[in-house]
Amino acid sequence: MSLRHFMQYALAGLALSATALTAHADTLRVGMSGGYYPFTFVEQDELKGFEVDVMNAVGEQTGDDVEFVTASFSGLAGMLDAKRVDTIANQITITPERQEKYAFTEPYVYDGAQVVVRKGNDAIQGVEDLKGKTVAVNLGSNYEELLRELPYADDIDIKTYESNIEQDVALGRADAFVMDRISATQVIKDKPLPLELAGQPFSRIENALPFRDDEAGHALRDRVNEALRALREDGTLKQISEKWFGTDITSP
Amino acid sequence: MHVLDLDYMLGLLPILLGYLPLTLEMAGAGMLAALVLACLLAVVRVQRTPGLNALAMLFISFFRGTPLLVQLFLFYYGLPQILTFLVAINGITATILGLTLHFSAYMAESIRAAIVGVDRSQTEAALSIGMTQGQLMQRIVLPQATRVATPTLMNYFIDMIKATSLAFTLGVTELMGATQKEAAGSFLYFEAFLLAAIIYWIVVEILSWLQRRLEKRLNRAYQR
Repeated sequence: MSLRHFMQYALAGLALSATALTAHADTLRVGMSGGYYPFTFVEQDELKGFEVDVMNAVGEQTGDDVEFVTASFSGLAGMLDAKRVDTIANQITITPERQEKYAFTEPYVYDGAQVVVRKGNDAIQGVEDLKGKTVAVNLGSNYEELLRELPYADDIDIKTYESNIEQDVALGRADAFVMDRISATQVIKDKPLPLELAGQPFSRIENALPFRDDEAGHALRDRVNEALRALREDGTLKQISEKWFGTDITSP
Repeated sequence: MHVLDLDYMLGLLPILLGYLPLTLEMAGAGMLAALVLACLLAVVRVQRTPGLNALAMLFISFFRGTPLLVQLFLFYYGLPQILTFLVAINGITATILGLTLHFSAYMAESIRAAIVGVDRSQTEAALSIGMTQGQLMQRIVLPQATRVATPTLMNYFIDMIKATSLAFTLGVTELMGATQKEAAGSFLYFEAFLLAAIIYWIVVEILSWLQRRLEKRLNRAYQR
């Protein structure tokens, strides 16, 4: 970024004018972490992944320009609340608490929560073996809640991370991590980390796009919902899913 | 354990370097603004300007007493919920603002210490030959205080460069944010973060070298 470019940014930021706020009328601003392989990640300075493809396809349907905003996962909800983005495409799971606060689209990914351990760790065969163990989850993700709902939750040492949970389990700092089955499978397949799945997925998960729970948010949600429906019918969703996962994760 | 993937690091180097200017611009702009603010705060504190002194003390107390990350979240995510027009402040501006306020609190105290540290006899001598308060500050006190404050101020600048790595929590992809995202794509964490560490380190080393030259220059009057 050149200095002039930078000054423009700074000035645009400081100019508290109405024009700065309305400039996004036909732009769908999508927040994502850029750190969740293979949904959203960066390779050679290029933002890629399932979420990127889905949102670009949605944009083509609705006619909106899609602008991706990457930020640490823990900052994403704040961005949505502060109207800095219009939605979050980061495999946001529908939960009752979130439904109270946000207007969700129909689910576009169906999945399950999966326990993953370091390769060769036979002591953990599934979620029931996590008693007395240290388990890593991502900060702000709903896997922490899923674990806390277990009857023996008090005996689990839950560690929340900003990122890099795979690395800490591979290093042996945590006994297991919990994330969705799809990306866990993908991580194990594609990346040079000594990890393996432990048992079957233990909870059904539906992921969707959250919008702000106000009039504009609902209007935008309805528009995106329609686009998702069209993409499901013409097979685009399935096609994008198969490109990244070799299987269709977009239907139940 | 796999060996270090040097090819990957080499390929990543130009990409990460592309984000270095933004990191330096945020730190540079933050430093300039913080210097101005810190000088004002220091003068208010030294002269114990009625009313303003108490405000300055409150300001320093808050911005030194709370973590930078908390302040950044407050400005960027918290305040716009109350004062909606603040949404117009983008991540870069919010980061610069946060760095400025946070570090000016620290810098004000080290500038104040440097001013107070100039020997009283200097002031008395200057006044005895009829200098005004302005001349006294400009010709006698500030040049000596600058020499004393420079090393600590450079320290804060170095700290500020590294503190820009928090900007990714505000959606600003700077050096650290770029590294995190690239590492997420390759899962070569060690390589990616090692490279980022080396880049920060080299930048700080260059600054340290500049600092030594600057100090030498400021010390000229004291050398025989």
